Amino acid sequence: MVANRLRSTARWLLSAAALMALGGGVVLAQSKPVTITFAEAMSSGTQKPTLDELVQAFEKANPNIHVQLLVQPNYGTLYTKTLAMVAAGTPPTMAQAYEGWAQRYADSKAIVPLGSYIYGPHGLSTSELSSLWPPLIADMKLTDGKFWMMPFNKSDFVVFYNASWLAKNNLSVPTTWTQFAKVAEQVTSTANKTWGLSIDPGSKTGPANGTYMFVAMLHAFGGHVMQGDKVAWDSDAGVKALTLLANLVAQGAVKIGTNYPGQTALGAERSPFDVSTIAGYPYEVAAVGGKFDLKVAPMPAGPAGPGNVLQGTNLVMFAKATTAQRDAAWALMKFLIQPAQTALWAEKTGYLPVTRDALPLMSDYLKTHPYQQIAAQSLANAQPTPSLPHSEEMFGYLSVAMQQVFLNHADPKTALTQAAQQAQALVGAP
Amino acid sequence: MPKAGRKVMNAVTAYLYISPAMLIFGVFILLPTLFVVYISVYRWNFLNASTSAYVGLANYRHLLTSSAFWSSLWVTLYFVVLTVPSGVLLSLGIAALLMANFPGRGLTRLGVFAPYATPLVATTIIWIWMFNPQFGLLNNILHAVGLPTPGWLQSPHWAMPSVSVYTLWHSIGFDVIIFMAGLATVPRDLVEAASIEGANAWQRFWRVVWPLISPTTLFVVVISTIEALKAFTQFFTMTAGGPLGATTTTSYLLYEYAFVFYRTGEAAALTVVYFLITAAIALLQFRLSRGRVFYG
Repeated sequence: MVANRLRSTARWLLSAAALMALGGGVVLAQSKPVTITFAEAMSSGTQKPTLDELVQAFEKANPNIHVQLLVQPNYGTLYTKTLAMVAAGTPPTMAQAYEGWAQRYADSKAIVPLGSYIYGPHGLSTSELSSLWPPLIADMKLTDGKFWMMPFNKSDFVVFYNASWLAKNNLSVPTTWTQFAKVAEQVTSTANKTWGLSIDPGSKTGPANGTYMFVAMLHAFGGHVMQGDKVAWDSDAGVKALTLLANLVAQGAVKIGTNYPGQTALGAERSPFDVSTIAGYPYEVAAVGGKFDLKVAPMPAGPAGPGNVLQGTNLVMFAKATTAQRDAAWALMKFLIQPAQTALWAEKTGYLPVTRDALPLMSDYLKTHPYQQIAAQSLANAQPTPSLPHSEEMFGYLSVAMQQVFLNHADPKTALTQAAQQAQALVGAP
Repeated sequence: MPKAGRKVMNAVTAYLYISPAMLIFGVFILLPTLFVVYISVYRWNFLNASTSAYVGLANYRHLLTSSAFWSSLWVTLYFVVLTVPSGVLLSLGIAALLMANFPGRGLTRLGVFAPYATPLVATTIIWIWMFNPQFGLLNNILHAVGLPTPGWLQSPHWAMPSVSVYTLWHSIGFDVIIFMAGLATVPRDLVEAASIEGANAWQRFWRVVWPLISPTTLFVVVISTIEALKAFTQFFTMTAGGPLGATTTTSYLLYEYAFVFYRTGEAAALTVVYFLITAAIALLQFRLSRGRVFYG
């Protein structure tokens, strides 16, 4: 295993060195030193040292570019501080941003579109662009159809499960939502205080994983969040998906909680499943603490096939930056999506490689970390979150609809329709 | 120097003395307040003020016709009703008990006051775990004795009482200290005189002690009401305004508008309206207390 790890490390180091030698990611020869600021929230676990390492490699390959990382403790703080910086007229050169944030920045003319960089003289080659996972390419665009973002720390949903529990009870890993519901019912016992899954839909102000898990189910059942300009989660597919969940809640097979309840219940051996993003793998491992065999499976499929939701942020470039700063920021954005860099990022942080070309570089790593392969391949089925300035608030309404169904036993169709109407009022709102 | 000139000089000197305080008050209190009133009549884009548009009283109209606003007022009122009367009565009772001499009185006083000195965020996290329906201490105890186990913070019915219990636990120490200070000022000879006249314990309290501590009681009621009206942290950390808006107080709604949904103009309008409501309630409390509060 150590030999494999060494071979893998040597492989990406060689690739990185080759890229640097060829100028991979270095898009221009900066004649004068330039400093760029990068507001980001990669502060926990291995994220910070890995980003530091990548930035150092970039600076080494681009001696005239200095990158100042403005590290924030979490996404909420990152957004608040970035907004404050924009409002004060001193935005960073580039920053991590969710799709909705980027739309808000774009509407306020605070960021610039990236099309001229992507297709410019120092842009992405056709093979580089086509190597990006297709949903990520769609995710780089805002509602005007233009490229405004570059992918960075991306993830998607998987099922974490207690393999020891399932094996002991002769239960199979569910591959469809119907099977999932059946297993969840089978493991539910009031006497043993066990149940299938815990989810947190979040709140109106902060839709959480449970809401996005439902969106993944919606896709698997053949539904969509938006169809054109219309909020469409109240389709038959949405009603069927929510009804399935509501029945499980009513039977006690799915419980509602807060603060990553699925992780807690899985770790405490009360539930065999947790549905979360692959970026949460280290936290699941910590919760389990080696008590049992933790494994990862793809999200169950629905009548329309597999369904998943793209998670994580992209990178945006701010309009106030000078031309030299923008060129340097683009160089860094391009550098970070190169196969060697994104492979290193994925291996060390648990996020997914944003290009398919990174997978061969990770072959040894994937043998020992098969969950990454499962999650990476699931990206093909992942749909991006709609890039609307009020998307957080819209999903907040969906979160409330789920709570109305689970806690107040509201009719799924009525609750979803009401939430869709409330969300629709925000589409196109300033 | 002529008398008029001296008068002007005195006035100038006086204003110079208070100018640092006036400057701080103006820059950090008055101007931001006026600015809030100003932006409340705009659809304000704080990221690019040049794209803001004047909308007159539209933000106020939208606010006063929105169910979210009226619901938040009811939720706030519910929180005030749950925490203020019970908080005042409990703290007065505890203060009266802590005025008596008993072994370990100092430690007990410390125990009562200690929660007030603890950080809200840290202690709410502990209480969130205590209220956890599946793993929490409370439901484990209830389950052990065969009682039903509510969802506490995850239940629309129990969420507000749960937050109120936490709030009382955290804030009661302050009110107890204030009441103890008030009780300490009650002349002993008056109570003793009443006792000699044959007044029982309740009569001594109701006829002698209570009127004498009425200014303290008014202070505690006003401060507790204002604190309840602007309570935010416990709602932010414990329930995020949920479930189903059951704990979306007006303070929390203001946070939603301003810092989650970034509807700055509407948030400013809500601030102005809520300021007027809070001021009116405080004024009403003072008016109602006239003739019932004795300042000696």
